[in-house]
Amino acid sequence: MSTIVLPQDAQGHAAPHHDDRSFVRKYIFSTDHKIIGIQFLFMSLFFLLVGGILAMAMRWQLAWPSDPNVPLPGGGMLPETMVTNGIMLPEFYNSLVTMHGTIMVFFAIMPLLVGVWANYLIPLQIGAEDMAFPRLNMASFWTAVPAGLIMMSSFFVVGGAANAGWTGYAPLSVNEVYSGVKLGQQLWALSLITLGFSSLMGSVNYITTIVNMRAPGMTYMRMPLSTWALFITSILILLAIPVLTGALILMFFDQTLGTTFYQPQDGGQPLLWQHLFWFFGHPEVYILILPAMGFVSDILSNGARKPIFGYTAMVLAIAGIAFLGWVVWGHHMFMSGMNPMLGSTFMVTTMLIAVPSAIKTFNWLGTLYRANIRFHVPMLHALAFVSMFVIGGLSGIFLANTPVDIPLHDTYFVVAHIHYVLFGGSLFAIFGAITYWFPKMFGRMMNKPLGYVHFALTFVFFNLTFFPMHMLGSGGHMRRLYDPTQYPNLAEMQDTNVFITISALLLFGTQFIFLVNFFWSLFKGEKAPSNPWEANSLEWAAPSPPPHGNWDGVLPTVHRGPYEYASPETEADYLPQTVALRAPARTHEPIGD
Amino acid sequence: MSSHAAAAHLAEPRRMPGIGVYNMKLGMWVFLLSEVMFFASLIGAYIILRFANPEAFGLPGEVLNVPLTGVNTFILICSSVTMVKAFAAIENGDRNGLKWYLLATALLGAVFVGIQVVEYNVLAHEGFVPIASEYAAHGRDETGPLVGGPLYGATFYTMTGFHGLHVTIGVLCLLFLTVRAFMGKYTQANHGGVEIVGLYWHFVDLVWIILFTIVYLI
Amino acid sequence: METHPVAEPIGGKPHASPNYMLIWLFLFILTVAEVLVAFVSHLPKTALILILLVLAVWKALLVALYYMHLKFEPKKLWIVAAAPLPLVLILVGTVLMESW
Repeated sequence: MSTIVLPQDAQGHAAPHHDDRSFVRKYIFSTDHKIIGIQFLFMSLFFLLVGGILAMAMRWQLAWPSDPNVPLPGGGMLPETMVTNGIMLPEFYNSLVTMHGTIMVFFAIMPLLVGVWANYLIPLQIGAEDMAFPRLNMASFWTAVPAGLIMMSSFFVVGGAANAGWTGYAPLSVNEVYSGVKLGQQLWALSLITLGFSSLMGSVNYITTIVNMRAPGMTYMRMPLSTWALFITSILILLAIPVLTGALILMFFDQTLGTTFYQPQDGGQPLLWQHLFWFFGHPEVYILILPAMGFVSDILSNGARKPIFGYTAMVLAIAGIAFLGWVVWGHHMFMSGMNPMLGSTFMVTTMLIAVPSAIKTFNWLGTLYRANIRFHVPMLHALAFVSMFVIGGLSGIFLANTPVDIPLHDTYFVVAHIHYVLFGGSLFAIFGAITYWFPKMFGRMMNKPLGYVHFALTFVFFNLTFFPMHMLGSGGHMRRLYDPTQYPNLAEMQDTNVFITISALLLFGTQFIFLVNFFWSLFKGEKAPSNPWEANSLEWAAPSPPPHGNWDGVLPTVHRGPYEYASPETEADYLPQTVALRAPARTHEPIGD
Repeated sequence: MSSHAAAAHLAEPRRMPGIGVYNMKLGMWVFLLSEVMFFASLIGAYIILRFANPEAFGLPGEVLNVPLTGVNTFILICSSVTMVKAFAAIENGDRNGLKWYLLATALLGAVFVGIQVVEYNVLAHEGFVPIASEYAAHGRDETGPLVGGPLYGATFYTMTGFHGLHVTIGVLCLLFLTVRAFMGKYTQANHGGVEIVGLYWHFVDLVWIILFTIVYLI
Repeated sequence: METHPVAEPIGGKPHASPNYMLIWLFLFILTVAEVLVAFVSHLPKTALILILLVLAVWKALLVALYYMHLKFEPKKLWIVAAAPLPLVLILVGTVLMESW
């Protein structure tokens, strides 16, 4: 039959016997999990860029507040309601702050961790031919796109984009008398409600697929930690997102119908929004880190050529973090005026959650201990994750203590913490994951020298940008502040702000190396074999890239776990899950789970 | 069997056994868990707001029509019975029973929504609205003081409205099933759609059982 | 490529159909009981709320276990189905403390 081979097409793959779908069905409205994963990748890289640009504009204002000698680049293109004479207006600054956070959290990091990798990896890593519900999967992507468009459109409407912070606290976010923005805030709510549906559809798919479609021999305890992390993350999404949806609906009614769910008059409760939002919001931040931890485990083990240290403990730690993540949300509200008894309770639970995270960190170190490390690009990103995540975690311990949080709440100390875990943690893991699985996705390797340069510069500039924020925050520099120089005690630290901005600009510029590498490699990258990293998990047993249906009609059989590096049973320093040894040395084939 | 015969060579027996429930059913159960959290956020918000500010709300029966809604509750429960009878029918190969029980379920569901719409109209007419400037619910005593406030209206319409939306979607799904049943598409061997819409329908009934108690009786 | 059901429930125990009409009768009786308790009794508020919630949960369990067939499904599905419940209690319970 017709075999469609498109050698120049980055997303083309050698189709098996009867793949005669049209271009639109193959690449636009595709039900193939791999294509959907790649679609999410392109979408979220775009939003990552947008989020970065917004941050650069913010940093410009912070370094040279309202300084006519240093006008905002590109400010001339923006309307007078946002920027006048090169100086941005305070309302616009608040929009930048809000939209940077919102876009990065919901449209960049979350889809980069879940939308891309849950879709791409899960069926491959468990040995399935696709997701349980391929059409639902397609719907999930094509719901995320309108959500993104709605969010972007809010920049262009009367009143401008939402400006009440990515956390949208009421009553600022529900009453335009306070914020000056009505339509933008409404669009913000509608966009996130829509995105919620997309995430929900995805999570139903991921959970069903992992539970019911594992290949023969793929017991739960033989799944790679990437799959485990994505599985548990999906459960968090399933149960947390609907609470956000409910909260946003009430917010939308307040904004549109004049109800008072979150406003003090007529019996409303502004704190209700905070509780509902953070009840979702805290599991959300674990959604933003757990998949990254999973990828790091897989990459570290591969680079170290050693099994992951303490696989069972790693699985239990992921579950423990997810479980405890439900009862810590109040630590975002220590200064809100909530019941003080809650403050103490949340402090205890938050301190507790450091334990499973620490277990994971020590196990990563255990994996590296006495290892013969291959310092490939993904490995460097994984190592950066471990070290930067530790720093972010440590600042988290400070913030977890209610009395310590009193001076640190809503300061740049918090900004340092969140960026150490989200950039130092999640984003490094994402860069590592993209580099690691790029050959599988596109059949080509990413350029190595560019990869090393991008990593090194990013690591340096990242630390130069965000570490000084710990000092700023301890010195009292508040978040979401338009002009720090209006306060004498902050004006003293203004040099630090300038330093951070310059580092941030360099950091942002460095990312173009990654983008150039990514797009260049799509077309000109060295052709990749099916297993360029000599890894063990199932996705490496499929061709690079895998055909539609992944396994050419025959599901793989799994004989062991995914971390059999340096196994005594074989000469090579790795032993893939699918390889059947002549004399199976360990246990028999399992019959059940 | 069905059009999935082409994928038979990749069918379940070769995989790990999984949870013991087929994909669509597991998927529906998993989806329903998210719905539990959704309604929990709305009902939870109501409980929290009411506990904090009881005078912004009314006592059972003061404003809302409990007898009418009690009957409506009964109608929804009956529709659950007809639904389960529909499923039991096709499990036993009774395609005729399936057709008529499905139709009955859809009709009962539609009646439920209809009665809710009537209820909303009457309440709005009596001044029970979510907007502060137009709130005029006096309860049984027309000349007495206002009972509760616009937040009472807002929470009431939000909770019951979203539930009603879910019922409406359910009715549409049931009509779809009914049409397919009349076309003879369901057999004893192949009726997964009936089971999973049934699960959704029972869930909608279950949410109402909780809602009715919390909103109308407490 | 979705798996689809066969006549016997995969994994579930073959079972005699529960008496759906009997369950319906129970639900009817419990509903009447609820309305009576809410309007006729003169119990203190807390006891009232407790009894009504117990009755409501009882009805909900009947629907879940028998109409939704949970009683006859594999036990793992019970755990899956029960997962949101502690979360709901934590959310509502904790925030109620704000008004204690």
